[in-house]
Amino acid sequence: MPVRRLLLLCLISWLLVQPAAEVRAELVVVVNARCGVAAMTRNEVVNLFFGRTRQFFNGVEAQPVDMLDSHPDRARFYNALLGKDLSEINAYWSRQVFSGRMQPPTKLGSPEEVLKWVVSHPGGIGFVELSKADARVRVVYELAP
Amino acid sequence: MLVAKMLRLTDALRLLKLLAVSCAFAQLIGTPVLADQEQTFSLQGFGTLGMARTTSNDLEFVRDLSQPGGIKKNWDGRGDSVLGLQGGWHINKEFEAVVQATTRYRYDRTYHPEISWAFVKYDPTPNLTLRAGRLGTEFFMMADSRWVGYSFLTVRPPGDYFWYLPFYSIHGLDAAYTVPLGEHLLRIKAFYGHSDGKIPLADRQWEIKDSPMLGGFLEYQIASWLIRASYANITFKNNLPLGTLLPASSLEYLATKDRRTDYYSLGVVYDQGPWQVQLMLNHIEQGNNALEDSNGGYLLAGYRIAQVTPYLGYSWVRSERHASPDPYASRVIADSHSDQKTSIVGMRWDVARNVAVKAQWDGVRGDPTSIFPYRNDPVNGRWSGKMDIYSLTVDFVF
Repeated sequence: MPVRRLLLLCLISWLLVQPAAEVRAELVVVVNARCGVAAMTRNEVVNLFFGRTRQFFNGVEAQPVDMLDSHPDRARFYNALLGKDLSEINAYWSRQVFSGRMQPPTKLGSPEEVLKWVVSHPGGIGFVELSKADARVRVVYELAP
Repeated sequence: MLVAKMLRLTDALRLLKLLAVSCAFAQLIGTPVLADQEQTFSLQGFGTLGMARTTSNDLEFVRDLSQPGGIKKNWDGRGDSVLGLQGGWHINKEFEAVVQATTRYRYDRTYHPEISWAFVKYDPTPNLTLRAGRLGTEFFMMADSRWVGYSFLTVRPPGDYFWYLPFYSIHGLDAAYTVPLGEHLLRIKAFYGHSDGKIPLADRQWEIKDSPMLGGFLEYQIASWLIRASYANITFKNNLPLGTLLPASSLEYLATKDRRTDYYSLGVVYDQGPWQVQLMLNHIEQGNNALEDSNGGYLLAGYRIAQVTPYLGYSWVRSERHASPDPYASRVIADSHSDQKTSIVGMRWDVARNVAVKAQWDGVRGDPTSIFPYRNDPVNGRWSGKMDIYSLTVDFVF
């Protein structure tokens, strides 16, 4: 009996640990903790990162920050968000830039810089791994890995 | 003939030289970094090196009516090759100045660089954007990015839809306003200005400079769907360059001066995951007797597999005949007739970061009377209305 109980305990703790290990590699969208946004839908995230709108639903002006192509999180983010390859994202932005509509968001090279940007801009919004999101930012959207 | 080939070669070399110089420049200045609250400068560019050939020597295939000559049975780089450079001055959060220059085969058979845009952009609120200066016109969806090959799937925007549109820029202003409706977005844009440019017709040029243009659209974004309805018009400043060979009564009948042409269009785009699907429809109503009203459209679908995106498309254009008892006028009107369908099969291969290679086949199946979309209009009805076009391009941005 105690052996069985022990096995059950092991199984439960393994089940509990399992998603946590996956969650660690998960990308999340974070905003400045003071911008008044608690959660976002996928469409709202897409609208901001693609420059279709420049404000959160509460009217606060959004200041999105992207990552450089060289950082693997960028490809992971757009793949998880829309199933899009970086070439398609870059094609989209080349249309916006060369038609004279708008410039893409600033691109940074590391998650630390992204967090710094989000913290230092009232409407800052970026993406990092969940494990890197600290108390200075708020997680508003989680991407399935 | 040899001289013509040599000229073509020197033009290509000039283009390459300009490209090399601009790449060096871009490297020198570095990639644009828009630091917040600070003035920054950026330099970016795009280009295409393309080659195409057709299966007919009876007439010349052009990308749109801004080109005076086109492609026949020999491989030819004039149609699709282009180089563009954009300099941006980000003044502060609200103001930005942009100048863009392009070089491509243009109305006077040269590659003289042109300033395509030069404007100041002002964003007074996050919802509102105002621009003034020399602006691209969005007559139809994507009309203002027609030369940025890297930004779209096909080798060139489907011709049956865009041939009629040799208008590229206006001197004027535009305003765009975005209304968030829950997760969806409604975008409204309006523009007004005076057109800039010339349209080559036979060995003459039709001056459309200073012709007033007015237009706008309503656009609705629902998740991965984008739907747009647009209207635009142009009131021609000048008559067609028909010379003095026609009787005065015919010239008067064919007058375009101060006549307004209306452009209506509807576009639906679906863009999610590996899929890209576009449906576009247009209707053009000519306010003059010289050109025929027309309906055109295209359906295009692509599916990405890793770095390769095969695509299939179908486009069509058909103008409505109108007869004139005047034989002179009838001949001129017949020059603006179109009645054809095109099948498109191709693939885009994203070989490296910011570089795409494309190969495409276009099968034009039309009536022998369909001659408006081409150059060097055939005499004696040698044109069968059927032609295949093979194209290869390398598109890049930097």
